[in-house]
Amino acid sequence: MNMIVPLNVLKPGEKGMVVNILGGAGARQRLVAMGLTPGATIHVIESHPFGPIILSVSGTRFAIGRGLASKVMVRKL
Amino acid sequence: MMKIVALAGNPNVGKTTIFNDLTGMRQHVGNWPGVTVEKKEGILEYADEKFLVVDLPGTYSLTAHSVDELVARDFLLKGSADVVVDVVDATALMRNLFLTMEIFEMGLKNIVIALNKMDLAEKKGIEIDARRMESVLGVPVVPLNAKEGIGIDELKRRIYEVANRKAKTDPIMPKYDPAVEREIEHISGALKHTELAEKHNLRWLAIKLLMRDEEVIKLVLRHLGSEKLNEIMRHIGEVEERYKRAMDLIIASQKYEFIDSLMHKFMRYKFEAGETLGDQLDRVLTHPIYGILALFAVFYLVFKFIFAVGMPLQGMLDSAFSSFGQWLAPQIMSDILRGLLVDGVIGGVGAVLSFFPLVFLLFLAMAFLEDVGYMARAAVVMERIMRKFGLPGKSLIPLVLAFGCNVPAVMSTRTLDEEKDRIVTMLINPLIPCSARLSVISFLAGAFFQKNQAFVAVSIYTMSIFLALIMAWFFSKFLVRGESSPFIIELPEYLIPSWKTVLLHSWERSKEFVKKAGTIILTGSIAIWYLSNYPSVMGSGQSYAERIGMFFEPYVRLMGLDWKAAVSLLFGIIAKENVISTYGVLYGSREAIINAMMPLQAYILGLVTTLYIPCIATIGAIRAEAGWKWAFFTMAYMIGLASFMGIVVYHIGIILGF
Repeated sequence: MNMIVPLNVLKPGEKGMVVNILGGAGARQRLVAMGLTPGATIHVIESHPFGPIILSVSGTRFAIGRGLASKVMVRKL
Repeated sequence: MMKIVALAGNPNVGKTTIFNDLTGMRQHVGNWPGVTVEKKEGILEYADEKFLVVDLPGTYSLTAHSVDELVARDFLLKGSADVVVDVVDATALMRNLFLTMEIFEMGLKNIVIALNKMDLAEKKGIEIDARRMESVLGVPVVPLNAKEGIGIDELKRRIYEVANRKAKTDPIMPKYDPAVEREIEHISGALKHTELAEKHNLRWLAIKLLMRDEEVIKLVLRHLGSEKLNEIMRHIGEVEERYKRAMDLIIASQKYEFIDSLMHKFMRYKFEAGETLGDQLDRVLTHPIYGILALFAVFYLVFKFIFAVGMPLQGMLDSAFSSFGQWLAPQIMSDILRGLLVDGVIGGVGAVLSFFPLVFLLFLAMAFLEDVGYMARAAVVMERIMRKFGLPGKSLIPLVLAFGCNVPAVMSTRTLDEEKDRIVTMLINPLIPCSARLSVISFLAGAFFQKNQAFVAVSIYTMSIFLALIMAWFFSKFLVRGESSPFIIELPEYLIPSWKTVLLHSWERSKEFVKKAGTIILTGSIAIWYLSNYPSVMGSGQSYAERIGMFFEPYVRLMGLDWKAAVSLLFGIIAKENVISTYGVLYGSREAIINAMMPLQAYILGLVTTLYIPCIATIGAIRAEAGWKWAFFTMAYMIGLASFMGIVVYHIGIILGF
């Protein structure tokens, strides 16, 4: 059974499917409108010890802060 | 009345390019009423009919969470547009159609989809059948490559047809799961008998209420009362319980599923594109170490470019105006008129226009970096640094530019997304010493501290940068309210920008600056001319300027300065380099200062000049961007800060025996 983890623990090259987004409505709806919605597959491209994570969702690249990333729950693929 | 065409779409979809293609040079940049969001309008002519084209802010959705979204949403909701052109990026169809569906759900009918970046989509292996897409979505779809101008004529034609009801549109409505649809029906049923039914699309209201949209909740509360509203909310809670997710997430993911089911009908992947040059570039440009190096290299070049090209132009304009003044002076008989025109008006207009090259080049560089796609990468790198002081990454740009000149720096705060971040960055911006203050600092350091020249200059710089960061932290924590943005940013494809777009953009924005900041600079310059010439000329000890200086002497004494310093500081408000030249007038020559002051006093003068008040051009820029309230606040807090620092450093200096 694949674990459900926050997005910020994924390593570069790993993929995850969004299952839920926690946190306030503002941040949540922003993420969703940009395509990070339950069911979307996220591909982590870059993740360094500090600062934003670079990822790709259906062909578009995003940078997302660690705080925000920790609210995106994904199932590791 | 001209019919109105509104351009809506995600950021980075080429909306501005399409706007320019449609309107040409006939455009105007202003602000949306009450907010600092740029509003662009232009005229489109087609088949002898004129349309007013309004460029709405680029947004990913139409929630009530950001100013940009509210502006776009209110405009669409009011039905102000006769035609809505929804610009869609063919390379990211899924996400772009999310906004399209939100527009459809508003109940708007006159919609044309501009399917841009078809060339890029093809390169990525995405094949879209625009004809099929049109029949599936129920509105005209025009494939475009706006940068090359391909498809623009067709777009104009379709806009014209829809505006004149010559084409039928029937936008498809997203369908949700039965459980959600039931709630939508329940709510619209309850709203049907209220006044809301006349003015609004009930399905849209119901969906937004389900998503707990604050604006819609307020609206419904007014018309339904709290009891009914509470009952609806309880229902929503039950559905959420069943899905184990917030309602807005349920709706969003079902909307995406709906879009997905549509997309299969008109789009397919011919091949999967592998790692692109863009991916490789990103690896370097967003890297914690290489990224910062690249950032410094890029900004060094921008800085170099703006000041290497702009400064000579500024100098040329400056001397052109002063020679014009010198030529004009003997031709005017009346003393008063001559002084007013030559020193006041021409001097003032000259000061405004001499900033024009700097401001224009700044906007040019920024627009270029933005359109190339570098700005988003820079924001990622800077995020790591700036967030510690309560500011987003992008705020580093205005702070770096401030070392050259605060005016373009303040103008560049527009690139920040959140109102709060814009205000805080603007407030602390004048604390960063600009090149004019560098000239004061280096003159004083050179004249009074031959041995420790560099140390003195660096200490003043360090102090002001340090204060800027402290104040940033303080303001964003305690003073300026508002949500600080959670960080997420799209990294758009790297593109070669369209020069037409970049140039037009910079031109319009710099024109706006001259209009807005100009009046203040002009008024200030006339006021200073008056103060220094009445009731008699400066140097006599009788002018108003000198009297003001003497009035303030007891105050500046606290920092060890005399009335002459107070007069100089007063004139420094026009332009900081005046601090030294005023001493020249008061003592007969610049060099005479050396005998008139102690090194400690000179140090204080340098420090206070750096901190005390923004120059009038910067005040003008702040008022243009944020309004009088914040312009006055900036002056007030900086005077306070400068006095505090001046007094403290003076007394420490005395104790240390300087």
